[in-house]
Amino acid sequence: MAVQLPEMNLVLLSPEILLSLVAMGLLLMSAWSGKESRGLIGTMALSGIVLAAVVLAGLSSATPSATMGGHFIDDRLARAMKWLLLIATALPLLMSREYLNQHGLDSGEYYVLTITSLIGAMAMVSAGSFLLLYLGLELMSLSIYVLAAYQRDQLQSTEAGLKYFILGSLASGILLYGTSLVYGATGTTLFTAVANAIKTAEHVSPVLVLGAVLVIIGISFKVAAAPFHMWAPDVYEGAPTSVTAFIAVMPKVAAFTAFFRVLLEAFSALHVHWAPMLQLLAVLTLAVGSLGAIAQSNIKRLLAYSSIGHVGFLLIGLTTGSQLGHQSVVFYLANYIFMSVGAFCLVLVLNRQGIGDQISDYAGLAKKRPLLAFLMSMFMFSMAGIPPLAGFIAKLYVLMAAVKAGLLTLAVISVIFAAIGAFYYLRIVKIIYFDVAEQPFDMEVSLSHQIVLAISALIVLVVGIFPGKLLDWSLASVQSLL
Amino acid sequence: MSLHHFLILGAILFTTGVFGIFLNRRNVIIILMSIELILLSVNINFVAFSHYNNDVTGQIFTFFVLAVAAAEAAIGLAILVAFFRNRATIDVERIDTLKG
Amino acid sequence: MLENYFPILLLLAVALATAVVMMAGSFLVGPKRNYAEKVAQYECGFAPLSRVRLPFDVRFYLLSILFVVFDIEAAFLFPWAVAFKDIGLTGLVEMLLFLMVLLVGYAYIWKKGALEWE
Repeated sequence: MAVQLPEMNLVLLSPEILLSLVAMGLLLMSAWSGKESRGLIGTMALSGIVLAAVVLAGLSSATPSATMGGHFIDDRLARAMKWLLLIATALPLLMSREYLNQHGLDSGEYYVLTITSLIGAMAMVSAGSFLLLYLGLELMSLSIYVLAAYQRDQLQSTEAGLKYFILGSLASGILLYGTSLVYGATGTTLFTAVANAIKTAEHVSPVLVLGAVLVIIGISFKVAAAPFHMWAPDVYEGAPTSVTAFIAVMPKVAAFTAFFRVLLEAFSALHVHWAPMLQLLAVLTLAVGSLGAIAQSNIKRLLAYSSIGHVGFLLIGLTTGSQLGHQSVVFYLANYIFMSVGAFCLVLVLNRQGIGDQISDYAGLAKKRPLLAFLMSMFMFSMAGIPPLAGFIAKLYVLMAAVKAGLLTLAVISVIFAAIGAFYYLRIVKIIYFDVAEQPFDMEVSLSHQIVLAISALIVLVVGIFPGKLLDWSLASVQSLL
Repeated sequence: MSLHHFLILGAILFTTGVFGIFLNRRNVIIILMSIELILLSVNINFVAFSHYNNDVTGQIFTFFVLAVAAAEAAIGLAILVAFFRNRATIDVERIDTLKG
Repeated sequence: MLENYFPILLLLAVALATAVVMMAGSFLVGPKRNYAEKVAQYECGFAPLSRVRLPFDVRFYLLSILFVVFDIEAAFLFPWAVAFKDIGLTGLVEMLLFLMVLLVGYAYIWKKGALEWE
């Protein structure tokens, strides 16, 4: 009996294959080469990511196509999200090299783990089935657990890794259990086939709904949506700051794409079931994000709650089920990457000269380093959603989508929480500008930090004033959905 | 033996695993075991569905789940060993440095 | 045909019941007077030199972690071997690639000295 193997179009996988080769090469290099070549490994990792971007750009224009028996999808959404993922990996990597050097973390494995988690995330955004979704999710998560515990002689870092591991594994388990129920109810794991099975069935079986709910809970854990957010503040605080910057952005992009795929490709017929659930999650997430941040004194914890708040907005965009909503999610994600990376880059810059992670340490920054203070305020204002910055346009589009979809209550609630959220962003600005300086702030801003800060600040500003191009791009990327 | 028996077994194992994570206050190793239990309950589900639906996908999925479970256990133990070296305990209630 | 095994089943049941009854009986009826010497572990007549529940050397963990990972990956070889004749050269190349990836990991841990006992 000859078995018909599914056709394999490896060209579509070329960015992932390239990155895998880079990761394996660097792994061997980090074992065989000595201390002196560590800088080289970092450079090679970054060039590998840039090369993957070149390959991604060189792929012929994306007509939606599937390969590997439908498990791997290549469409506009996958391409767009891969761009975001590459950026969300390259920028944190670029800005963390000095931090790694100073804290003795600059071993080759750091870069290998970063790249493997990137590969996992890229597999996730291209997933055409629950199988590849799960494998990508695990590759990404497992690498990130280790990264969180990377400072292994330090209690906080290992504790962060342990917490992240336990709750992350629980989330994967829940997602997987849901997947098994969906498989049982529909007899397939391919998203398109699941959607067909749901459409052709006479009635929606409770097993299927339970499975869908568990899958959604599993992904909600990964994006730190309340009430599944409890790991986020601890992990953000405990993990090395360079890792925090990475896990604040990269997994979010991947997990929200997973939401797109699962909700809109597999469970689109179940919209009436999942939309109210996601709306509830969105409200809770917004509440936790803005109320939880008020009492924080640690900047990393505060940024953790801030990211939870952003997730609340992204969830609103998702629940609308309209093209405008999906566009707003992609647009929001793109802006969130730059705001967040910019803010974390400043934390890294200011963190160096023995100044801790406390917000009060930033007192009087404006008098000593006006430019840094200006940038910090800009990122904070953008996160708070104050015009004319990118964060404002992002929030505006989410609200527009919510109103158009008739979710007026949700829009009002989100505005209220955004206003509460603005309070703690402004508190940081107040501390920076009006409190008395206690620290000398005599650190130098290295070239790589300058580059990252310049890119983030420029995007936040330019997109805030001329959002057209990025909006078009976001719209194009979600057109294949629905 | 019908499909229901296997599903009920899977559900019992799954809930045992989830409760094992939340109710257990003593030992992190038990949490790792609970996580394995969850993954095994999923495997039972997949194999049972695969058998009764006459579709081989579920069994393939099980292979991948097994492989990932091994990697997960390895990484979990490795992180736990690193944590133990710093804290000298694997008591769940002592994982409390980070809070606020 | 199965009826032939009924006596064996009966024997098993009786054996099990006897064991349970004897253990339960001594547990319920027997006096319990525990003192330090009595509850201490038996060590050839002299006072015990160390506790029985010694922590395992962490190196056992490390080796077993590595073993588990490579052991499970071998599970993928079985379905491949069963279908080997049907999937032809493509299957062979794919498995070789898979093993190559494993080999990279193996070379890494070997070079790192994770397999050395000392």
